Amino acid sequence: MKDIVKKLDRAFNPRSVAVVGDKMEMGYMWLRGLANFQGRVYSVQIDEKELAGIEALGVKNYFSLLDIPDEVDYVIVAVPRAAAPKIVKDCIEKKVGGVMLFTSGFAETNTEEGIRLQRVITEMAREADLNLIGPNCVGIFNPKIGLCHAIDQYSGDGGNVGFISQSGTHATFFSMVGRANGIMVSKSVSYGNAVVLDSTDYMEYLGEDEDTKIIGLYIEGVKKGRQFFSSLREIAKRKPVLIWKGGETEEGSRATASHTASLAESPLIWDALIRQCGAIKVDSLDEMLDVIKALLYAKPITGSRVGLCAMTGGQSVVIADAFAKAGLEVPLLTERSYREFASFFDIIGSSYRNPLDISSNLRSMDNIIRCIDILNDDERIDAVVLELSLVFLTRLGWLIPNFFDSLIDALTLYKERASKPFLTILISAHAESEAIEAKKKLVERGIPSFPSFERGAKALKKVAEYYRLQSL
Amino acid sequence: MVVDEIIGAARKEGRTYLTELESKQILEEAGINTTGIRLARTREEAISFSKEMGFPVVLKIVSPDVLHKTDAGGVELSLNNEDEVGKAYDRIISSIKKHEPNANIQGVSVQNMARPGTEVIIGMSKDPQFGPVLMFGLGGILVEVLKDVSFRIVPLTRRDAREMIKEIKGYPILEGYRGQEPADVAVLEEMLLKVSDFVENRPEIKELDINPIFAYSDGALAVDARVILES
Repeated sequence: MKDIVKKLDRAFNPRSVAVVGDKMEMGYMWLRGLANFQGRVYSVQIDEKELAGIEALGVKNYFSLLDIPDEVDYVIVAVPRAAAPKIVKDCIEKKVGGVMLFTSGFAETNTEEGIRLQRVITEMAREADLNLIGPNCVGIFNPKIGLCHAIDQYSGDGGNVGFISQSGTHATFFSMVGRANGIMVSKSVSYGNAVVLDSTDYMEYLGEDEDTKIIGLYIEGVKKGRQFFSSLREIAKRKPVLIWKGGETEEGSRATASHTASLAESPLIWDALIRQCGAIKVDSLDEMLDVIKALLYAKPITGSRVGLCAMTGGQSVVIADAFAKAGLEVPLLTERSYREFASFFDIIGSSYRNPLDISSNLRSMDNIIRCIDILNDDERIDAVVLELSLVFLTRLGWLIPNFFDSLIDALTLYKERASKPFLTILISAHAESEAIEAKKKLVERGIPSFPSFERGAKALKKVAEYYRLQSL
Repeated sequence: MVVDEIIGAARKEGRTYLTELESKQILEEAGINTTGIRLARTREEAISFSKEMGFPVVLKIVSPDVLHKTDAGGVELSLNNEDEVGKAYDRIISSIKKHEPNANIQGVSVQNMARPGTEVIIGMSKDPQFGPVLMFGLGGILVEVLKDVSFRIVPLTRRDAREMIKEIKGYPILEGYRGQEPADVAVLEEMLLKVSDFVENRPEIKELDINPIFAYSDGALAVDARVILES
């Protein structure tokens, strides 16, 4: 076992967890978040007023971490900042596997007291080689064993995507928005001020983690730049790594200073570093999830030429614009493909040059599938994109019952036999609530869908660039 | 070790700026082709070096105290014979004595006048977080106005070198735009890798600028260079 795995394994896969300082005022968020935890849970609280509430949750309370008659693998700390050094001291004495400080009010406040307290806990932890996560974070999420930030996160099913986030919100959102998109977390960690353990440590850990096939990072600043660079370069050879850098603008970096006490870093250097390491740079949570979705649910793309199939004429124009603007090619097809189209395609009100406008051919499910089959088989095409226009599919449903569901069945079969990556763009127009249902069905079938041409195009471009760099 | 000697001498004099002569000697040690350069301490040496190196030549003042050589009248280009070299030598010395009366003059460098090529630059600076970073770009106005440059963190792989050259918007110029002489991109890659190797093993170098490099279809030459040491 690699050193980093040995070092962090107890914290990421705990068999016992202690929550220090959870209280009614917070709705016992941490203890309730452990309702489905598959190991042993303890509470540490000295406030008599809280004891009844904690017992009502069925959790045994102790007045000190040191009183717990069991090994403690992972500790969640939610005490006021002044009490943090005492708890850190107890954690060292108890030889816990890791401690996460939800407690904030340290260097990020830029106050004398905050900076002093941060220095105190940092020095104690470093000297004792304590795995201190944070402070000012929400720590580890391991759904497979039910280690959650709050009760509304999922547990039981673990996924294959690891997420490392300097922000607690982004870690929580990643897990929840990700799940709605078919992206499930293997393990994630929010790590705040990163005074002892930093993004590099977590990345190295998830790099070794067998459950983690893809790693996403949200970073405001790094501490050990050289090590981050060499680790990223090594890990990105084995697993796709996506990086979302917060605070790239002067205005944003003002916020990173007060958020996690991170210093401004040159965006040019970050861009170069990410590209150099063969990692993928993304600029938002949405983009992070879009690219991961394309990596997980579309076959690897080996070029940059796309075959585009829109459901109406106006959309055929703008889908082509979007993919071309994203830096992908939308080439003319081979003569062979054109001959095949000519044999069945109704060109009155439609067109098949690439982009395709298949409006007049929509009523035949077979013809829809035939169109994307021809695109898949065309040697000038590396990926196939199909627009799913909810408005027109709903109208077709008035004429042909269950049209949308049958189409999804047909697309599922198509995706299985297609040799090239296949993406869909789910255009909801005004029908946003219907789109939620439709997307759910696509997610269940493992058919990647994107809510706009631009997002689909950008994701595919990033993935194409990733595979290109991997192949060099 | 020439490099150790040069750095040691500068340290002894309390300098962090190396002269062009020293910078180019260091580059030659790192395996990078420069315009041949020799230090002439007298008018006679300047003439005899010119004859040995072949005309045309360039003369440049060598002094750690003269940072802007051209402004101080310390550069003479396109010297085609012994007579021109001798006169240019005199002009440089008197101009420097006028502009910078207290300058410590080590001599005058004699360099081959490089045939014009596509101008590119390679630079190294240190990022506080990630350490030495290499920059590549087209020289002259394109780098100054358009900031058409690319970066990579040291150490570079061959793929990095190739990608950082291709990444700049002006890349078609290197391929030989509108009948211009194309640049030997493989040689530029090699130069980037050599600079990367060199600075990786020389943490005492704080900044390095090779500007310009003349890129030709069959090679490339460092025409001017500047090295700054860590203090």
